[in-house]
Amino acid sequence: MKEMKEIMMAAIFDVVEQMFYVFLEPIGDDYADYAMEAAIQFKGDLKGEMSVLVSDGLAKSMVQNLLGLETGQMTKEDIEDCVKEVANMICGNFLGRLDRTRTFDLSVPSFSQPPRKAVTGGDACRLYFDSDGESFGAILRLTN
Amino acid sequence: MSFNVLIVDDSKSVRSVIKKIITISGFRMDQCYEAANGKQALEILSKEWVDVILSDLNMPEMNGLEMLAAIKADIHLQKIPIIIISTESSDERRNAVLEMGAKQFVKKPFSPEYVRKVLYEVIGMEDETTRERNERDNDGGDF
Repeated sequence: MKEMKEIMMAAIFDVVEQMFYVFLEPIGDDYADYAMEAAIQFKGDLKGEMSVLVSDGLAKSMVQNLLGLETGQMTKEDIEDCVKEVANMICGNFLGRLDRTRTFDLSVPSFSQPPRKAVTGGDACRLYFDSDGESFGAILRLTN
Repeated sequence: MSFNVLIVDDSKSVRSVIKKIITISGFRMDQCYEAANGKQALEILSKEWVDVILSDLNMPEMNGLEMLAAIKADIHLQKIPIIIISTESSDERRNAVLEMGAKQFVKKPFSPEYVRKVLYEVIGMEDETTRERNERDNDGGDF
């Protein structure tokens, strides 16, 4: 699981820095308050779900950085679309880093606002981050 | 000469970013069509001529692989160059997509420079940045 956490961390940094110009600082295992969640399922040799949790301010920053929209110009759909794409890219990047030779089928990302009820414990890999006082989290759950 | 471009991705944000990259790269784009899945893309292709397609793979209704197969099976569309832009980057998936007839595969997240480079390569043109650099290099070497 430690190796998976490192791969997941690298995937997260790659996506949020390169695509959304957001810089994250790991904050350990503290679950913060999040405004929304996007989740994507994958299946192949491994089966599971990657979910991304984001605070409202960080979601707006990502939309602003990606699309060049000011807060007043962006719609709920822009925010949802952007957070779903973050989950999609992180999941794909993570699976590619895990093993380039294996192919996984990804679902279309789903979106929840507020996030689904947090599940603690179990076979999951959790990473939480701070970005200028805003919160970002990622949870990987394996189901086989 | 300018080109018609079709961008296929279920994410409106990604479509906007790709469109912006193409626009600011100086690529001579005439019309830019957008579709949220393969089905919408085929509807556009039944009415409009496009010179290049940039498409995601993982989309609802009709995914990028199904769209690619449909385009390659259509005698009127099969020569349109297709660039796949996807998070799904395994060697197997990449090879399958290229064997099916896609011209290039770009992994998400992507840099604007790389998308621009691939687009110019696929369309068979030298982009402005490369041309300027080559001209500078040629001038510098002419003693």
